[in-house]
Amino acid sequence: MVRSPNDYRTDVWVDWCPGCGNYGILAALYKAFAELQLDPTNTVIVSGIGCSGKTPHFVKVNGIHTLHGRAIVFATGIKLANPTLTVLVHGGDGDLLGIGLGHFIALGRKNLDIKVMLHDNRVYGLTKGQASPTLSKGLKTKSLAQPNILSSLNPIALALVSGYTFVARGYSMLSEHLKNLIVAAIKHKGSAFIDILQPCVTYNDIHTPEYYRKRVYFLEEEGWSPKVEEGNEIDKMFNAIRKSFEVERIPIGIFYQNTFKQTLEESYGQRIPSYLKTLPPWQKILKDDGSPIFDDTLFEKMFNEYIVKVEKS
Amino acid sequence: MWDNISLLLGGPQGSGLESSAQVLSKAFARLGYGIFADREYFSNIKGRHSYIHMNVSSRRHPISLSYPVQILCAMDAETVFTHFQDVEENGVIVYDVSTLSTRSSTIPSIEPKLRERLKAYFSELGLSDTIQSLIRYLRSVKKIRFVGLDYPKILSEISQKFTLNPGQASRYLSSIIVGSVVGLTGLKLDAVGYALASRFAGRQQLIEHNLFIIEYVSETVREGFRILYELEPSKIGLEKMLVASGNDIVAMAKIVGGLRFQSYYPITPAADESFTLETFERLEVEGESLGSLIVTQTEDEIAAIASAIGASLSGVRSATSTSGPGFSLMVEALGYAGQIEAPVVITYYQRGAPSTGQPTRGGQSDLLFTLYASHGEFPRVVLSSGDHLEAFYDTILALNLSEKYNVPVIHLLDKFLANSIATTPLPEIRKVVIDRGKTVFEKPDFKRFDLSRPISLRAFLGSNTIQWAAGDEHDEFGHIDEDPLNRREMYEKRMKKIEIMDSEIPSENRCMFFGQDGVKLVMVGWGSVKGAALDAIEAMKAYGVRCGYLHLKMFSPFPTEYVKSILSKFRPENLVAVEHNYLAQASKLVTQNTGILVEKSIVKYTGRPIYVNELVRALNRVLEGERRVVLEYGA
Ligand SMILES: Cc1ncc(C[n+]2csc(CCOP(=O)(O)OP(=O)(O)O)c2C)c(N)n1
Ligand code: SF4
Ligand SMILES: [Mg+2]
Repeated sequence: MVRSPNDYRTDVWVDWCPGCGNYGILAALYKAFAELQLDPTNTVIVSGIGCSGKTPHFVKVNGIHTLHGRAIVFATGIKLANPTLTVLVHGGDGDLLGIGLGHFIALGRKNLDIKVMLHDNRVYGLTKGQASPTLSKGLKTKSLAQPNILSSLNPIALALVSGYTFVARGYSMLSEHLKNLIVAAIKHKGSAFIDILQPCVTYNDIHTPEYYRKRVYFLEEEGWSPKVEEGNEIDKMFNAIRKSFEVERIPIGIFYQNTFKQTLEESYGQRIPSYLKTLPPWQKILKDDGSPIFDDTLFEKMFNEYIVKVEKS
Repeated sequence: MWDNISLLLGGPQGSGLESSAQVLSKAFARLGYGIFADREYFSNIKGRHSYIHMNVSSRRHPISLSYPVQILCAMDAETVFTHFQDVEENGVIVYDVSTLSTRSSTIPSIEPKLRERLKAYFSELGLSDTIQSLIRYLRSVKKIRFVGLDYPKILSEISQKFTLNPGQASRYLSSIIVGSVVGLTGLKLDAVGYALASRFAGRQQLIEHNLFIIEYVSETVREGFRILYELEPSKIGLEKMLVASGNDIVAMAKIVGGLRFQSYYPITPAADESFTLETFERLEVEGESLGSLIVTQTEDEIAAIASAIGASLSGVRSATSTSGPGFSLMVEALGYAGQIEAPVVITYYQRGAPSTGQPTRGGQSDLLFTLYASHGEFPRVVLSSGDHLEAFYDTILALNLSEKYNVPVIHLLDKFLANSIATTPLPEIRKVVIDRGKTVFEKPDFKRFDLSRPISLRAFLGSNTIQWAAGDEHDEFGHIDEDPLNRREMYEKRMKKIEIMDSEIPSENRCMFFGQDGVKLVMVGWGSVKGAALDAIEAMKAYGVRCGYLHLKMFSPFPTEYVKSILSKFRPENLVAVEHNYLAQASKLVTQNTGILVEKSIVKYTGRPIYVNELVRALNRVLEGERRVVLEYGA
């Protein structure tokens, strides 16, 4: 059976505001999944809390809608326990870069094969428009009482220095381009990050579709080559970081991709050979009669160092 | 000949006391003796005072500790100053003669309060505060016997013999302690050799050096001092024994129970369990693999519990292990597990609290917290264990209950258990049952939260199903749903599991009563109180008082009927809570659930274990009418 984008739709009513950038992200996701013919039973979307957090309910693959800021760590357990799953994280900028920032950085260090989609609308959508970590200092979006007093952080640079091996930026209104990025991210082996520029039509009157239309340009059109070749990792990363600080013109596309780094699951697999041979969920832990695979003899053998044989006097 | 000996071994943290305790434990076990050893230490890596309090028995596996002890072996002067009052009349103190002129007032690591107490003690007796004058006094007035050894000289002999530099030689200081115990108890050197070989497997030189010093010191003690605490041959009659800390026995149980994922963020006194698990990650026996165990150190405890829940959704048995500060961070995710009905086990080793509290000391002050942690109402299991073997079986029970009922399980332990080494018979693996609950592997339109049954079928992510989950109130598929009637149904479906668990989980897993006919006074306690309480029952017979002990194990669901059936036979003034917290928290829960008042309490919150001697004294005071006794024995 060939799956079309429509086959990945659930019949849950999509309750984002009309015109919200999230619709473009969702459309790109359906198309990417169809292009890759992802098996819905083997695919998991894990989300945090926010407008963005609702994404899994609209997609007919496994969907785990978790806590504010914690999607990455739920996904980490899901993926480590079953490394054959395709695991995506969807979160907002408040979610991933505010309350969940520590996990965002830690995932880069792990290079675990999880794809992180940042719905970057520069506001806290679901709590009615407060400043998010990607809103620049001094800006006053619609529902702020005062201009933003904090500086913004740069998600691309942060992902790069954290160790993500696939770092890209997409724009929700350029759904086809975004789809291609998602496909590339899923095909990549390792922690992948896409900063998705997402207009929030209700609370962000600065970063509007107009704003982006004037600024966005394609990295690939300027001959950007994101791929690390043996030996030039640092150069590639530094160039990508420099590029990520362009603000007047906003580059989109793949900033950086490194396929040389071992993933966390590979590292575990190297240490524990049976890990990738029989996936943990399918490993036998009990016999048919409900007793554990351990018996008294196996127990004694495995925990020999704790067992003292009493000397006969 | 003795059937029971208590020892104290003290010295600075980081000087090898812990491995001395392991070596001695295994050596005694080798000869068939039962041991129980508590380790007390500061939150410090090197230099502060630490000690091992060990009970050795020829008749049984000891379950408690008591004072005074027969033998104190001091690595340094601070140990003598800290513990001389812990030694019984006629007891022995082994000390370093090179410290004779050391004054308590000049030892910087002695805490100010203890220094004041010592100062008062010495000035009241008109003594100078040197080791020498203390010894003179204790010898003549308290009839304590002293074994003075010249530690620096012994070490320099070692370094000459084996051409070691002084730094290397000083690492053998703890062997002087082991050697003196060997000399005083007549412990066989073969057994010590066995223990060393087991502790330092493969490090032949280390074993050889240690054995040499131990033999040398034990002969010096035996020949020079002629004091012998000879244990009668063991009557326990086991061919094999397990010698393990609480952390280690829990790790073993998790492996037997089929754990495949453990996440943790380092914290005392939980981290050692994860460390042990990680050493077994390949689950290999004689080159053959039984599976794989992923042990992952996360960036914080939120990540630890969240990834454990994630792993559980993928279909593996998963757990995280922590202590109070870590659990405080886990609380939001605990409620999430309750709401999405995900199995997960949290092994919770209580320590001195609140806040950083006493990181390396014990306590039981988190019971109410574990019961009520996280916003909202949801079913959970809170299960506690009273000793090493209980902890073994309860660990597996915790894994079973979490999967059978799709609930988070908090397995509540404490530092006393975590860090104490005990001998036990080997756990009976043939009695262990694994129950993974009801699962489904293939189902179109799978309803993870199927309302037709209170305990819905669980599917693993990656099996032939699609499922959703949300911390938001949800419909049967797991999609957000705020309809009031759906809300009611889902809410009740979840809460109904409390009743189901209550009716299905056998009472012997939840509560135990110890006591014969004619019991006058009933102690009500939980967790590590068990050993001291049971031994106090015995000791109280000497006063002609029959005591009983109600050992509470499961606090959610609370064994209301069983507890009622036991306690209603007694008058409230004959019920006495024994707990390591201020409020006597478990007794409050007894009252809340059964309406029965536990009028008396004996509590301790110094961070040190409850000792049988002080418990017995407190019980007598309670019998005389005191309502509340606060215990404080122990350095
Ligand atoms: C622990 C916690 N704190 C606060 C909230 C309230 N909250 C819900 S959504 C949200 C912010 C959402 O902003 P963002 O992550 O940028 O997502 P968006 O709605 O913009 O997609 C907050 C703070 C929460 N759910 N949990
Ligand atoms: S508030 Fe903003 S982000 Fe949320 S749905 Fe509306 S437009 Fe989209
Ligand atoms: Mg946002």
